[in-house]
Amino acid sequence: MAEHALSSAMQSHLVNFIGLLRSHDVRISPAETLDAMNVAATLGYAQRDRLRDGLAAALAKTPAEEAIFQHCFGRFFDQQLADFSSTREERANQAGEQEAASGPEATSVPKGAADHSAEQLLETAAQTDSDLQALLTTPLLQQLQDNDSAALNLAMGEAAASVGLSQIRMFTQKGQFTRRMLDAMGEDQLRRTLARLEQEDSPALEPLRRYRDILREQVRDYVERQYLLQAEGENARFMDELLRRTRLSNLELRYQHRVQELVQRMARKLAERHARKRRTYRRGKLDMGRTLRRGIANDGILFHTHWKRTRKNKPQLLAICDVSGSVAAYAKFLLLFLYSLQDVLPKVRSFAFSSHLGEVSELFAQHPVDKAIELVNWRYGGATDYGKSLQDFARLALDDINSSTTVIMLGDARNNHGDPQLDIMRSIYQRSRRVIWLNPESRRAWGTGDSEMPRYLSACHFAAECNNLTQLERIVDQLLKMNR
Amino acid sequence: MHTQDFPQLASIEAIEQGFESFGYICSPKIATAVFLAFQLRKPILVEGPPGVGKTELAKTTAMLLDVPLIRLQCYEGLDEAKALYEWKYGKQLLYTQVLKEKLGDLLQGAQGLAESVERLHQFGDTFYSEEFLEPRPLLKAMQQERGAILLIDEVDKSDYEFESLLLEILSDYQVSIPEIGTVQARVTPMVFLTSNNTRDISDALKRRCLHLYIPFPSVELEERIVLSRVPDIDRQLRHQLVEFVHSLRDLDLKKSPAISETIDWARSLLLLHARELDAQVIQSTLNVLLKFEDDINTAESALRELLPRPAHG
Repeated sequence: MAEHALSSAMQSHLVNFIGLLRSHDVRISPAETLDAMNVAATLGYAQRDRLRDGLAAALAKTPAEEAIFQHCFGRFFDQQLADFSSTREERANQAGEQEAASGPEATSVPKGAADHSAEQLLETAAQTDSDLQALLTTPLLQQLQDNDSAALNLAMGEAAASVGLSQIRMFTQKGQFTRRMLDAMGEDQLRRTLARLEQEDSPALEPLRRYRDILREQVRDYVERQYLLQAEGENARFMDELLRRTRLSNLELRYQHRVQELVQRMARKLAERHARKRRTYRRGKLDMGRTLRRGIANDGILFHTHWKRTRKNKPQLLAICDVSGSVAAYAKFLLLFLYSLQDVLPKVRSFAFSSHLGEVSELFAQHPVDKAIELVNWRYGGATDYGKSLQDFARLALDDINSSTTVIMLGDARNNHGDPQLDIMRSIYQRSRRVIWLNPESRRAWGTGDSEMPRYLSACHFAAECNNLTQLERIVDQLLKMNR
Repeated sequence: MHTQDFPQLASIEAIEQGFESFGYICSPKIATAVFLAFQLRKPILVEGPPGVGKTELAKTTAMLLDVPLIRLQCYEGLDEAKALYEWKYGKQLLYTQVLKEKLGDLLQGAQGLAESVERLHQFGDTFYSEEFLEPRPLLKAMQQERGAILLIDEVDKSDYEFESLLLEILSDYQVSIPEIGTVQARVTPMVFLTSNNTRDISDALKRRCLHLYIPFPSVELEERIVLSRVPDIDRQLRHQLVEFVHSLRDLDLKKSPAISETIDWARSLLLLHARELDAQVIQSTLNVLLKFEDDINTAESALRELLPRPAHG
């Protein structure tokens, strides 16, 4: 292994790469980072395909993550090999073609001749111009003249580090960072000299301009690549973060697809964390210790066998969602969440109501999400009547509520001054393990106007304000934890 | 397991060649993963659609290294008594009977209860000892003298509790037995876990493993696989049948044909002396490839488009 001992530069490279993967939503723990280091040390950097396969095995843990990995690996490690000699040659070719167009005798000029003459031009000009002389001896111009892509790349890397290019997040920052990079590399000297030469109309102007253009192009490309690397993942994450914190009612229509994805991811995460299957054994395994101990009384004869048992515990979730006009903006997301939850948790029954209530579990199970939500709204939308709806609910599900049932109520408790049927809510409260009320209105508005929230509160184990996705996630997470 | 004992795993090329000599044609990616698993002593979690050779990979590695393959098939309800160890209850009972008879001799001449208890303590406590331990696959894999290949098959079928049981074994290669203590592996076994993705494996488990996803092979690779398993088949026909299987995999089927089914099909075609794929041959042998009536119907209705073009056209 020693032959491939990792240089610290390569190590930091790898760490940067892992940072990049993380920004693209691949979860990588420190332990896996160490694994990746070991992998790189074992395989070496010489064969890229091999390194890619090896790192993929250590870092990407699902096919989806592997796809992201492949994408990022290509981008990240290609950049290390960026080279401007091709650009340079093309330019030389172009120059050659231009000359070819200007006169037939130029066709025989070999490829390198354009460069050659450029250097000569510059040198002759420099003999009479001390500024130009000084400029030509700077490392930057040396690199450009010698076509030393490795050195130039290194210089760009240093400049990038000094201006903090890895912080780039927005495309609007690209110009600014390009400028700063150029300054850090000492382009201002080149620029000043050029400005002066322009006034003098010097013959050295043309070749010098070309060097400046090459430099600018290189730096621009470099910044562009960095932006693509860094910002792509970050932007998506930033967006997600923003959406999670926005009030559900304020979310714009055009973000709905994104939210849908977010909600589904959230529901899946919650379900993964909580959906541990309970196993039921009719008879568990033999508990030898207990059996022996019992046998002592019978002079060591094992008369009674003792069996270890696993307790049955099947949590059940009933979710009731208000879809009336007053909460229409929320209802869509709550239904979406319900839908996702039912998708991932085995024992969820969903109900929807406004003027009357019905079970929508079947609808959710049978239709794709958009269609299901549309159907629910169409069937149960209208003016709110909590009393009637609770009666319906009692008829449908009250018998099924027992000490392992959790009931979640999603609604604003605005009952249009009708009969709240508190006694039904009470009996639900008494029978169930837990009643949770999630109200999209802020706590201060509870009880104002036609809100019956304070009265219903007496029949809830837990009530909370819930109007953005982060709150929703936190509450449901807690709820499921308690539900174990 | 060390490199000097197993030169077969010394390099990626050696692994590829070694596998090939046992008829397992693998992509460089698979060989790289096996190499790393061996060098870094990490388990490999192999995922992929059914029938791409996940289990076969472990078997072939065992053959290549000439070490025992210890296989643990996971299923719902699998617990430590079946996976890890179990006490030999019968022998323990006999032991207590024997002990009772000897008790008189042992306590002869003891003065009072205190001395009797002391004598009892001097008597070795073997009731819970390795002698009465019945090793199950996981423990057995730790006890092999030359190392072993441990195959934990279809880990996604097991319960979450079982996954946490695996964590200790996979990261430290040791097993805790409450009555005895921890048992360390004599030689670290090479561990393969396979999963068909019927549920997500927990992050904790994934983190301890290298991850290898084996997709359906490319046409070229699959042709090589068929060649190694069914060497007698005509080259032209081999190409046609692999192409056809690949086009089947693009259809919406309940179960796409796997590599093993391609091989079975190749064998059947060989038996039937088929020289070229045509509608009739396919229709009569489609049940080798597809295992659901619905799938067969779907494929038959799409047969016209799927049929390989005549070679000269």
